Amino acid sequence: MSMEDYDYLFKIVLIGNAGVGKTCLVRRFTQGLFPPGQGATIGVDFMIKTVEIKGEKVKLQIWDTAGQERFRSITQSYYRSANALILTYDITCEDSFRCLPEWLREIEQYANNQVVTILVGNKIDLAEKREVLRQRAEDFADAQSMLYLETSAKESDNVEKLFLDLACELIREAKQNKLDNNDTAPMPGEGKTISYLSCCSLN
Amino acid sequence: MAAEDLPSEFDVVILGTGLAESVVAAACSRVGQRVLHLDRRSHYAAAWASFTFNGLLSWIQQHHEESLPEAAPDWSSLLQEGEELIYLSGSDSGFIANLQVFCYTSEEDEEEEAAPPADTTEEEKSDNKTDEEEVEKQEEKLEEEEQEEKLEEEEKQEKLEEEQKEEPDEVRRRTSNPVALKLIESLNASHLVQSQTDHTQGAEPEEDQPHPSVTPSQPEPRKKISYAQLVKEGRRFNIDLVSKLLYSRGSLVDLLIQSNVSRYAEFKNVTRILTYRHGNVEQVPCSRADVFASRQLSVVEKRKLMRFLTSCMEDTEEHQAYKERPYLEFLRDQNLGENLQHFLLHSIAMATEDTPTEAGLASTRHFLRCLGRYGNTPFLFPLYGLGEIPQCFCRMCAVFGGIYCLRHSVSCLLLDSHTNRCKAVIDSRGQRISCSHFVVEDGFVGADRKKVATPTRLLSRAVLITDSSVLLSDSDQQVSIVTVPPIEAGSPAVKMVELCPSTMTCIPGTYLVHLTCQASGSAHQDLSPVVTKMFNTPDSPEQGERPSVLWCLYFNMADGSGVEVEGHDLPSNVYVCSGPDGDLGHERTIKQAEFIFHKILPDEEFCPPAPNPEDIIYDGESSTATGEEEKQEQEEEQEEKQDEGKQEEKQEEEEQQEEEQDVETHEEEQKEEKQEASE
Repeated sequence: MSMEDYDYLFKIVLIGNAGVGKTCLVRRFTQGLFPPGQGATIGVDFMIKTVEIKGEKVKLQIWDTAGQERFRSITQSYYRSANALILTYDITCEDSFRCLPEWLREIEQYANNQVVTILVGNKIDLAEKREVLRQRAEDFADAQSMLYLETSAKESDNVEKLFLDLACELIREAKQNKLDNNDTAPMPGEGKTISYLSCCSLN
Repeated sequence: MAAEDLPSEFDVVILGTGLAESVVAAACSRVGQRVLHLDRRSHYAAAWASFTFNGLLSWIQQHHEESLPEAAPDWSSLLQEGEELIYLSGSDSGFIANLQVFCYTSEEDEEEEAAPPADTTEEEKSDNKTDEEEVEKQEEKLEEEEQEEKLEEEEKQEKLEEEQKEEPDEVRRRTSNPVALKLIESLNASHLVQSQTDHTQGAEPEEDQPHPSVTPSQPEPRKKISYAQLVKEGRRFNIDLVSKLLYSRGSLVDLLIQSNVSRYAEFKNVTRILTYRHGNVEQVPCSRADVFASRQLSVVEKRKLMRFLTSCMEDTEEHQAYKERPYLEFLRDQNLGENLQHFLLHSIAMATEDTPTEAGLASTRHFLRCLGRYGNTPFLFPLYGLGEIPQCFCRMCAVFGGIYCLRHSVSCLLLDSHTNRCKAVIDSRGQRISCSHFVVEDGFVGADRKKVATPTRLLSRAVLITDSSVLLSDSDQQVSIVTVPPIEAGSPAVKMVELCPSTMTCIPGTYLVHLTCQASGSAHQDLSPVVTKMFNTPDSPEQGERPSVLWCLYFNMADGSGVEVEGHDLPSNVYVCSGPDGDLGHERTIKQAEFIFHKILPDEEFCPPAPNPEDIIYDGESSTATGEEEKQEQEEEQEEKQDEGKQEEKQEEEEQQEEEQDVETHEEEQKEEKQEASE
């Protein structure tokens, strides 16, 4: 294939309870849309957006849960080789916040050790219905050494910031890793993907 | 989370998340069927699953407990006129038997003679503090939950050990060094420390048991990995229940590529083909490059081997003449010599001495065709283990709208008395879910309704965690398949796969070794003779320069090759998927999935490529948020779909071109090789 036109490629994975606005965040960021209905993503595996940070092109591959979170049945393979996780809850829904420890357990089980995790409280446009105080969420995120951000996919508040911050953090880590050059733990994406492209015939 | 009800209308309901079921799910969903995919277990992939070390310990424990068949609730009140009920099997414990666990490493980290510098421990301790402080800061709830979980884990561990004590004949546990209680340096959280202490306390009474005759091993250059460390780093293991490889031109690889499911997984090449002969492990030269580089083979042997490999690709009259006769006989008559004969029969054809020539040649050809597509051997192995593969197909199903629910089962089928078709199922909560087709893993079908091969066939399996490779080489990151011919007359041929840490299935410093054969006795009877010969265990006749086994598990599992899709006492729109068979590849399962798919949807394409997300063009970049979005979006979606169609075509064209290019390079290389050969 022709030369890829980016400097970095990162896989970002969204998790969190159903209905907290994961898909909306992705669509807002990648397409600038606020989708009113769900189900519009049938057949779409992940979305791509290339952003430029300090002169470097960063391609973000953003994966959604495909609805498997609805009955708590996300495949482990979904977490594999993710560079970053966006753990989302709905600030107007206490229940979605209370489920966070459960999600963290899944992350601990299946995600790569070096994964960058950010906690996102979505739907701040519905401030009058807020059930989870910002301070509480910040404390929780601190305790788990996660970044924290509040967003509104509807009003497009902080959505751009969310993904750009993540991209910056990922670049920083990637550079750090290169410096340290400690490859004790294999990085995600180390294995081969199979496709027509990677075929080579020796025999 | 509040239990949401499932939708109550589907085209296809699938119970069990093994490979065949998952492929059927993906295929149906891909072409627009509404799919509900359930599994009663809390994990994906059924008998094809991979577990972390701790997950595997729980799994072992579950199978040790006597599972009382759950009394199925009486759902007859849900029946309408002209309907009948068929109850599914309440337990699936039938497919695993003869579980035996052995631990040959020390419980805790051994105290080294040259004690580790004291300040490391200090550091660890101070780390503990910060950890604890952090824990305190967290929400109480979280902490409680964690504690609870740990407690559960502790209990499980204790139970496991109790069982092991109770069954001294079946489960022995050997400690090469009495437990060092003080040294808990490797543990960095308070609750873990506690659980570990309990853990070792539980093990103390063992001292009463006759101690293994082995003297503690000489101070080794490397520190032996302790059981505590295996548990602590347990999540980095991915231990498969089945042991298979992907033939690089096999039907699974073809399907993964064709359907674009391959984007969800990554693979490693199997780097070596080894065989066990005259008490040694030897590398089998199989690619041209290998053959030329081989030091084991004489020049004459190299020529003979190349000639044979080239000639066997074409069907000749000679092949026809030997068709029914043993492949071994055919090989003997080729005057290849003992070396080559062994390699060809056991490692390349992976045949036995009775395999007829026709089958032997077919597998030799398959092997050769697969060679060099991705590497020097015909095989691939998925990172994180084989359990990933069914999950990848499940993801594809979900992306196309399939609904997933683990820990949820179907307790019975509703039968239309007139048509004798299954019109709905009743789930474990008593919800009626209508469907046009029902696909089920064979373990859920009651024995009274199932037609199986008699006697029931079983596979013998062993899983070892070892401390080094069976054949040392320049690289410590080799993935090897080892063919072990029957070590004495009447014993089975064993297939062994050795995985290195870079396959993401075991921790650095260890190897994960899978052994598989057709069962003639219990797994331990069948496989322990091979294990004690090829590895150091306390049972080995002499301790040699071989890898040591740290921990191992033996079990028997049902051989899926005895179960057919049809022919059971079930409605015509109910399809039974069999579990894994003993073959190295996945041909049978993929064929079965395709067969079931075409039974359900005779006119649809099986797993056409899913659109590449990068090729889907969204036309909404510039649009702003307005009230009219909904309409706009619908239109866009339609456009998208059309775009997708076009994109697919384009993509295909591109791929074809690339394939052609590939073929060209292929030919060039062949020319080069021919030149080399003639030189």
